[in-house]
Amino acid sequence: MTEPSEATAAAEPDAPDGPSATSPSATGPRSVTTRATLVGVAVSALLILAIVLGSRMLRNFDSALLPYAVATVFLAFGVAYRYTVWISAPGARRLFKQGWRSLFSYENFRQAPTALPRMIATYLGFQKFLGARSHARWAAHQLIFWGCVLAALITFPLTWGWFTFTSGSGSGPGYEMRIWGFKILGFDSLNILGWLMFHGLDIAAVLVIPGASYFLWRRMKDRGAATGQRFAYDLVPLIALIVISVTGLLLTFSSIFLHGGGYQFLAILHMVSVVFTLIYLPFGKFFHIVQRPAAVGMQLFKYTGRKDDEVFACRRCEEPIDTGPYVENLRGTMRDLRLDFDSWAAYCPRCKRVLRGSAYLSHVKKGFK
Amino acid sequence: MMGRTIFIDPGRCIGCQACVSACRECDSHRGTSMIHLDYTDEGHSVASLPTVCMHCEDPVAPCAEVCPADAILVTADGVVQQADTTRCIGCSNCVNACPFGVPKIDLQAKLQMKCNLCYDRTAYGLAPMCATVCPTGALFYGTVEELQAERPGVQVADTFVFGETEVRTGVAMVVPAERVQWPVPGGLPVVEINGKDVRR
Repeated sequence: MTEPSEATAAAEPDAPDGPSATSPSATGPRSVTTRATLVGVAVSALLILAIVLGSRMLRNFDSALLPYAVATVFLAFGVAYRYTVWISAPGARRLFKQGWRSLFSYENFRQAPTALPRMIATYLGFQKFLGARSHARWAAHQLIFWGCVLAALITFPLTWGWFTFTSGSGSGPGYEMRIWGFKILGFDSLNILGWLMFHGLDIAAVLVIPGASYFLWRRMKDRGAATGQRFAYDLVPLIALIVISVTGLLLTFSSIFLHGGGYQFLAILHMVSVVFTLIYLPFGKFFHIVQRPAAVGMQLFKYTGRKDDEVFACRRCEEPIDTGPYVENLRGTMRDLRLDFDSWAAYCPRCKRVLRGSAYLSHVKKGFK
Repeated sequence: MMGRTIFIDPGRCIGCQACVSACRECDSHRGTSMIHLDYTDEGHSVASLPTVCMHCEDPVAPCAEVCPADAILVTADGVVQQADTTRCIGCSNCVNACPFGVPKIDLQAKLQMKCNLCYDRTAYGLAPMCATVCPTGALFYGTVEELQAERPGVQVADTFVFGETEVRTGVAMVVPAERVQWPVPGGLPVVEINGKDVRR
């Protein structure tokens, strides 16, 4: 495995002295940190309020799940903090604004009202672009994705006290599922629906384990994947997913086959792994979950910017480069970053190389001919 | 500047495409060549120019700076890595901002790809694939001292000028001795387009 020494992110949002800090139009690093902290605190406070209200003033709150709930508050802070820092950098800030502007534009509502739902399904749900990279990776990622979505939909509301399962007879088999105290549905815990309801997390684990195992295997075997990989960034998330899933399944195994033997130890192990993962999420590879919707914003911006299928063409060879608004947006980003060769963005990559070669030919090494 | 790196001498390039084929064999992007070989005056001259990532040092990696997804990392040894597959959203910002025209984009896969100096090899002290196979030494990998030991009197430049902006790179070009104190012209401002003078 090739492990690069300390990776410095040229555009890493956490780096206070990163390139965005040199931008005249960008906000200074200290104010970005302050703003990100305030946003993080506000989002965490809102979540705490939502937990208190949603659990009916904590009456439905399960105190055994307190560590999970606390971890989600830290998660909310971390995600809000990192997100704010991220979209403060010139490239992300401009795209963020353009994405939202495109979404609420008249053009979008009039010409492409179905574009957004279609893009959300394509990019975020079924991740078609991953299939273009590799079918195996797409399949494995789909398993992890839907497993995690299922697990999140079950566990987050449970730990916040929003979901409750109550039984009029004390021990079932008839149960009522309630959200915020309101009855949603009643079911028999002994039928298929009941089994699915009580084993949702086991199903999620069964989905996640093969997906995460495939990626772990690939990181060990594939030299392309191993190039430049870092243990904390690339391997820890996969190991964490597998540990969470295996310990979760072992809890079910313990209750069914061991009559609860080792349950307490497993419960603590499971809780520690989940809490660690939730707190790690905003600062590692899992942050791509929060970042990926930017792909939809970007695509929508390009989509609405392409009027009458016209695109911005290279000034020299007239090959299409991108949509006009997108090239203008990039030039703005370059100016923000004091990359003063932004007019170069009007030429395609090949023409840039050929023009540089011609300049070398005529001004540097004439014998080159 | 300047440890072990690639030195490009377009004057030695015979356009054989060996570098293009060898690049395709690199394990970190097997099957896709990241090197560009362009004929600068096609139809009139056999002059060709191989282009690898120049690993810009100042300003540091414009491709990474304009990336809205923080997908391009620069390792401490100055190598600008290709986009992190997890983060890249395939927006093409890097492709169109790079002053050297290096990154490629796969729009279906929503993924940028570029020369990473064969990091799976150079991290272990091996030469990149392109420099390993180049039959004429147009692509040389080593230190400037090693280059000068092999080619006495040769001079290199690592600064390029685009309009008013100078870009210092990790990869260097061979230049004549009398040109060494001047930055290498990057092609901007453009003086002619398709045979027409566009300076006015």
